[in-house]
Amino acid sequence: MLQQDNDILLEMAHDIQDTYGYIPEREITQLAEKFSEPRAKIYGALEFYSMLYTEPTGKYIVRICDSISCFLHDSDEVLEAVQDYLELESGETSDDKLFTLEVVECLGHCGEGPVMMVNDRMYTELTSGRAIEILSECQ
Amino acid sequence: MIELTIDNKKVAVEPNTTLLEAANEINVNIPTLCFADDLTVYGGCRLCVVEVEGENRLRPACNTRARQGMVVKTHSPRVREVRETLFELIIASHDISCELNCLTCSRKSSCQLKDVAEDIDVSRMRLEPGDEEEEYDRSSHSIVREPNKCITCARCIRKCEEIQGVGVFAKASRGPETRVTTFKDKGMGNVECTNCGQCVVSCPTGALHEVYHMEKVWDALYDEDKHVIVQTAPSVRVAIAEAFGEEPGTIATGQMVAALRRLGFDRVFDTNFTADLTIMEEGTEVVDRVVNNDRLPVLTSCSPGWIKFIEHFYPEHLENLSSAKSPQQMFGAVAKNYYAEKIGISPDDLVVVSIMPCTAKKFEARRPEMSDDVDYVLTTREAARMLKSVGVNACDLEPEDYDEMLGVSSGAGDIFGASGGVMEAAIRTAYNLITGEELEEIEITPVRGLQGLKTASIPVTEDLTLRVGIAHGLNNAKKMMEKIKAGEEFHFVEFMACPGGCISGGGQPINTELTWQEVRERRIASLYEIDENKEMRRSHLNPKIKKLYEEYLEEPGSAKAHKLLHTDYTVRGVPGA
Repeated sequence: MLQQDNDILLEMAHDIQDTYGYIPEREITQLAEKFSEPRAKIYGALEFYSMLYTEPTGKYIVRICDSISCFLHDSDEVLEAVQDYLELESGETSDDKLFTLEVVECLGHCGEGPVMMVNDRMYTELTSGRAIEILSECQ
Repeated sequence: MIELTIDNKKVAVEPNTTLLEAANEINVNIPTLCFADDLTVYGGCRLCVVEVEGENRLRPACNTRARQGMVVKTHSPRVREVRETLFELIIASHDISCELNCLTCSRKSSCQLKDVAEDIDVSRMRLEPGDEEEEYDRSSHSIVREPNKCITCARCIRKCEEIQGVGVFAKASRGPETRVTTFKDKGMGNVECTNCGQCVVSCPTGALHEVYHMEKVWDALYDEDKHVIVQTAPSVRVAIAEAFGEEPGTIATGQMVAALRRLGFDRVFDTNFTADLTIMEEGTEVVDRVVNNDRLPVLTSCSPGWIKFIEHFYPEHLENLSSAKSPQQMFGAVAKNYYAEKIGISPDDLVVVSIMPCTAKKFEARRPEMSDDVDYVLTTREAARMLKSVGVNACDLEPEDYDEMLGVSSGAGDIFGASGGVMEAAIRTAYNLITGEELEEIEITPVRGLQGLKTASIPVTEDLTLRVGIAHGLNNAKKMMEKIKAGEEFHFVEFMACPGGCISGGGQPINTELTWQEVRERRIASLYEIDENKEMRRSHLNPKIKKLYEEYLEEPGSAKAHKLLHTDYTVRGVPGA
C-alpha cells in the first residue's frame, strides 16, 4: 500500500467509526475491496490503532491514564474505584452496552493528573469520588 | 562496483547490495531471524545489526545498502552485546520455558531460534517469558497455530501475501502486544486460507505446524482387525531422507518402502499409480474438451491448495477445472472399492493412509464430497517422525519394491511432484490419445524449470498445436488467471499451489541451511532422474492401469470411472476480494 493510501484508509476508518461507533466487519471487507488488499491486512492496520474499534463499544468509552505522572498522583486508586463501580476490567464493555473501560497511556495532561476521558471530554485532577460522580451522570 | 571493508576484509560488490549479502560473499555469517531469501526485507528482528564506522547507531545488515568506503564490524564487542540482548528479548516473547516444550515441539530438529542461539553463543536468559495464555488456533483441518511460540517475525505474513498472493495473516496491535492473527481473529479454518502450508515451512519456530494424524495412524496400525495400507506421493521419496540427515534430493524410494513395512503397514502402495490413473482420466477429458472446444482452457485439479484458491478467488472459473480427482483421492476411491473387493474385505475394515508433501491434502481428504476414501494424511515430516520413533532409519534399509496391485507406476507419475510435471505427463498420453502414436521426444523441456509462469506450444497434428501454460506458487497462479481472464488462449493450464510444485510443499522437511531455491532444484532434479531411469515413462502403458480398466473401470471417462474418480467444486468466494 502507498503511504497516500494509508492516509486515506485512516480517514475513511474514522468516518466509519463516527457513523457506527466502531468499524463493522462488512465495512472492513469493503475497505479491502476498495484498496485491493487482503481483508486481513486492512484488519491488521485498523488494529494497530488503539482508538479504532473493530468490535462494538459502549455508548461511553472511559479512558483512564496510568502513565507515570498520573500514577504518581494515585491514578491506581481512581482506576480501582471505577472498575468496582462499572464492574469492568480494562478492555471490557458492560452488558447494557453503556460503558467500555480502557486503561491507556498518556492523554497529554501530565500536570493535572490523574486524568480520565469519557468519549471526547477530558476530566483532570480527579479523585475516586469525582470520577464516580461523573460516571453516574452518564446515561 | 562498490568497495567496502567488512571485519577487516575488503570486498567489492554491485551497487544496491545489502551488507548482509556483502558479508555472505566473504563467508561472514551474520545471524538473522526475520530475513528469508525469498521474501521482502522486513528488518523487524534486528538480530543482524552491525557497527558502521563513523555512525552512532547500529544498522540492520539486511536493510542497509553497502556504500563506498564503508567500514563494517559484524561481531564487535558492542554488536555482540546488543545482539545477545535482542535475542533475550525475542526469547522472552517465545514460550520456551518450563515444561521442556522444546522436546515436544514440531521444530525440535529444525528450530531457527536454536540455530541463532548457537551462532551468537548465547550465555544468559535474564527475562522471564511472558505468562499470557494464548489459545491455539485449531480451526483448520490442515494447520495448527500456536501463538505462544510466535516471535512476530512476519515471515508467514509475507510468505502468504508475497509468494502466495492470499494474505490470510496480519499483524495486530503493537509493541509487546503485537500478535499475528487472521481476519477478525476468525482462525485459519474460517478464512480464505488455502491450507498450502507455505507459512509452516517459512516459520522459524514451532508456531505453525500441521494438524497431526500420527496418533490416529498409530491406533490403526496397532488395531489387529484393521487392514492398513499406505500410499506415498511422488515428492516424498526425494525428501524424506533429509529428515534422517541426508542431502536434499536424496532418492530413497526403496528404503522408504522397506521402512513403511517395518512400521507395520499391511501394504505399501504408490500414489504414482493413481497419478498415472489421473493422467488417463484427465488426459481423456482434456482431449475431449479440446476437440469439442468445450470450456477451455482446462485447468488441472491435483493441487488441493490451488483448488481452494480458485474456489475462493476465481469461483467463476470452476467450470474450467478438470473434474478428475487428485491422485491421492483417486487412490482412496480405488482402494476402498476395487482393492477391497479384490482382496475380499469390507471397506470398513480398510484404513487408507497417505504420506504427502502437503498440508492441504489433509483438508482435501476431509472434503464432504470425497466420502472419507482417504482416512488419514501424514506429511513427509510426520512419516519421518513415526519412523524415527520405532528406530527405523528410512535411508539405511535394503530397498524393497512397492506392493504390486496399486504400486506400479510410470515415470510420468514421478514427475507430478515438479512444476510442469503433470503437464508433461499429460502431454505424453494426450499425444497418444489424439494421434494413436507415441510422442517421440518424451522430455518436454519448455514446461520444466522454476520460472514462475511457463507457456509452450506443442505441435500434435497438422491442425492442432496444444497451447499450454504452467503456474506454480499462488501469486503466479493469480497472474495466470488474470492472463486467462484477459483473453490469452490456452488449451490446458497446470497449477500448483506451492512454489516449484509439490517437492516444496508445506509438509516437506524443513531445511534451515540451504536456500529454498537450492532445495527445490535438487529435489526436482531427482524426480526427473527417477523418470529418466524408468523404462516405462508413459501413463497409458502402465500394465496395472490397463488391468484396472479391464477388470473394473471399463474405460477412461466411463460412467463407473466418473462415479469413483471425478468430483465437483464449491463456490466459496472471499468477502471483499
